Amino acid sequence: MTREELTRKLTEHLGKALPAMSTAGNMLLVKIKAEDLPTLAGYVFNQLGARLITTVGTDRTPLTGNYEVSYLFSFDRADLFLSLKVEIDPANPVIESVTPVIPGADWAEREVRDLIGVVPKNHPDPRRLVLADDWPEELYPLRKDFPYDYKPPQATVAGPRMKKAPEQATVMTVGPFFPTLEEPAYFRLFVEGERIVGSDYRGFYSHRGIEKLADTVLDYNKITFLAERICGICGFVHSCCYCQAVEAAAEIEVPARAKYIRTIMLELERLHSHLLWLGLAGHIIGFDTVLMQSWRIREQLMWLTEQITGNRKTYGMNLVGGVRRDIPEKLQPKIKEVLAKVESESRQVVEAIAGDTTLLMRLQNVGYLSAADARSFCVVGPTARASGVDIDSRRDHPYAAYPDLQFTVPVYNEGDTWARTLVRLDELFVSIDLVRQALGRLPGGPIMAENTEVPPEREGLAVVEAPRGECCHYVLTGTDRPERWRVRASTYPQLQAAPSMFANQTVADAPIIIGSIDPCFSCTERMETVDVESGKLRVYTREELLKAGRAGCKGGDSRA
Amino acid sequence: MLKLIFIAVINLAVTLALAPLLDGFMRRIKAVVHSRQGPPLLQTYYDLFKLFGKEDMEGAGGVIFRLAPVVCLGSVLLAALFTPMGGPAPLGFGGDLFLLVYLLSIPGIAIMLGAMSCGSPYAMLGASREMMLVLTVEPILLITLFTAGIKADSLVLADLSGWTLTHGWSISAVIAGLALFLSLQSELAKLPFDIAEAETEIMEGPFVEYSGPKLALFKWALYAKMVIYISLFLEVFLPWPKTGILAADLLSNLVKVFIVIGLVELIELVNPRLRIDQALNYFKGVAVLALVGLAFALMGL
Repeated sequence: MTREELTRKLTEHLGKALPAMSTAGNMLLVKIKAEDLPTLAGYVFNQLGARLITTVGTDRTPLTGNYEVSYLFSFDRADLFLSLKVEIDPANPVIESVTPVIPGADWAEREVRDLIGVVPKNHPDPRRLVLADDWPEELYPLRKDFPYDYKPPQATVAGPRMKKAPEQATVMTVGPFFPTLEEPAYFRLFVEGERIVGSDYRGFYSHRGIEKLADTVLDYNKITFLAERICGICGFVHSCCYCQAVEAAAEIEVPARAKYIRTIMLELERLHSHLLWLGLAGHIIGFDTVLMQSWRIREQLMWLTEQITGNRKTYGMNLVGGVRRDIPEKLQPKIKEVLAKVESESRQVVEAIAGDTTLLMRLQNVGYLSAADARSFCVVGPTARASGVDIDSRRDHPYAAYPDLQFTVPVYNEGDTWARTLVRLDELFVSIDLVRQALGRLPGGPIMAENTEVPPEREGLAVVEAPRGECCHYVLTGTDRPERWRVRASTYPQLQAAPSMFANQTVADAPIIIGSIDPCFSCTERMETVDVESGKLRVYTREELLKAGRAGCKGGDSRA
Repeated sequence: MLKLIFIAVINLAVTLALAPLLDGFMRRIKAVVHSRQGPPLLQTYYDLFKLFGKEDMEGAGGVIFRLAPVVCLGSVLLAALFTPMGGPAPLGFGGDLFLLVYLLSIPGIAIMLGAMSCGSPYAMLGASREMMLVLTVEPILLITLFTAGIKADSLVLADLSGWTLTHGWSISAVIAGLALFLSLQSELAKLPFDIAEAETEIMEGPFVEYSGPKLALFKWALYAKMVIYISLFLEVFLPWPKTGILAADLLSNLVKVFIVIGLVELIELVNPRLRIDQALNYFKGVAVLALVGLAFALMGL
């Protein structure tokens, strides 16, 4: 599908001319009337086979007097993005929900409601998503007249609104703190005996409002480092994706060597992330030998990236327009040596795992996600590829050095936890090969673009295939800093598909099902951990803690 | 009489004082296979010591919650007096086989009652899993011991051991021994059958509300149980070598216990945790095997 074809089809379907249209890179921007949104979104998603990436809500009142909500779609095979943009009058901030047509729009619409205050009408699950339960009503943090350092009044006691368990079912909670969840997330499983009959989720405990920080305080390059700290595992993906979004908006040409260096770092990050996942998956089902061995293999990659960038993680390599640090010639033999070692050792682990019948018993036919569900929840990455949905941003929306490199995209059709494991195991070796190819072809030249000026009022969208799936950053440029920066991490759609994976499974399977999507909650919730603002630190004594803890046990107010 | 008191003391000492060492030994093996440094051999003693030093929380449950750990360890210690560990059992008598099997089922029941009295859903789920496992696995122990009893024409544990020593293995003994070995992993709550505790699924299940000294008692009881089960298995089905010299027999039994616990640990290291339904299916198979052994014994084989 080309841009022209898409325009023609949209016009035909609507039966009238599209109000306004423009392009930015490979993104087609179409302004539509609010009443046309559900029909057009449904048409694009169902008939044209596009995938909803996310929505972006922007407060444009200072400039146009309106709020804007963009629905971002991807035509994966055609390397084409579509943005359906609706202008909304602040006097009546209501929009017809598209979630009934596209289940994957659920969270994205709730997020716009929480942060901008545009209410999706007829939304099937209009509960709060992002904001804390004690956050005051009618207070929308991403509106431009909302100060970034505003502190809401002292909280009253408020719990999340959760779904009622079906009769006969008991509630098993997984979280907010649980041994196999590295981050806070709250799953409520409704169980009969051991069988799960329903589930509910409350997350976003790690939401810290970094998008607000970006469009009020920081500048373009500072955000790069903030973006890297969104995630402790795939941080480079975020900084890279953010830079690419700004570069796309400002039409900055990144030097070839910088693109290759980004590619090498992205693939090294995928390697360590997949090995990390393999270990965690083993640990979840009690197979600690896998945990220890795969983390031992992974450690060599951590040391390697420390040699390349100075850090085990959070490399701090990216800037808008290129990278800050070169990969010196003398390090290349070392990289190749580590890759060879990681490859042979991973091979051994993979062989041992593939032949383990008890392991197969725990992973096969567990957490099944059909291809149809994967598509309707707009799932990405290994989770999608294990359900037969053949998408990979590296191939579909080529960026960095990927257009020059040859690689396969492993796809399995079984849709269970074992298939998701196999996809990741295959990708280990694809990544090793990609780093080798990129090193072999590493071009010379500068690593930083000469002109990195960013003109205002441009839109840029970039996707990067993170280890967990497509990560997306959207930037609307302003003066000195973005007017709006939106992050959609790969776990965001996967978590929405979790309830359908839980269906008819047992409690024993729940942790590995959650684990099988390789969830990253801080990514999803855009956490920021470095900021200790006030410097006020209250030290609790042992007695105070005990008192508080015991008051909590008896159901009282724990903030004594 | 003096000798019996001496053996009783030895049995209790081995069960109580040496059991944590077994756990330390397992942790060392684990560390080697994991390519880890691992904790010191005596770490389990330090852990117990630390737990006993902690504040004794009343917790959520009532009397049952408080008594369960004591009953659990107490019944294990009592069972130690009926178990031959190299030498004769200190309190052996006619029909002690049944008493021992009863005594050995008490720890599981104590764990279940303690769990159910605290009301945590994780503990409840753990208790129900424990119950399913006990109901499936305990009969295997009974059947296999009974099989050996039929061959020896006695229900005194000492006779079973003696019969195997003099007559060697019969077909039924081999089958029964195998069945008992296959269920050992579950009796000792080791992977792939540590389903009732399942730390990563239900947060240690029955023990989720326990801490400090009460948790220490439970843990100690579980270590002690390992000594008893393995000694029982060895005495009935693998009693060799028996020298007749008490010290040498006690020592050889200990060495054998360490070897078996090493095997158990290796099995644990190469398996993930099974689901309860998968485990029950597996033990149904083992139970059938045990019954086949019993049938052979009835046919005199």
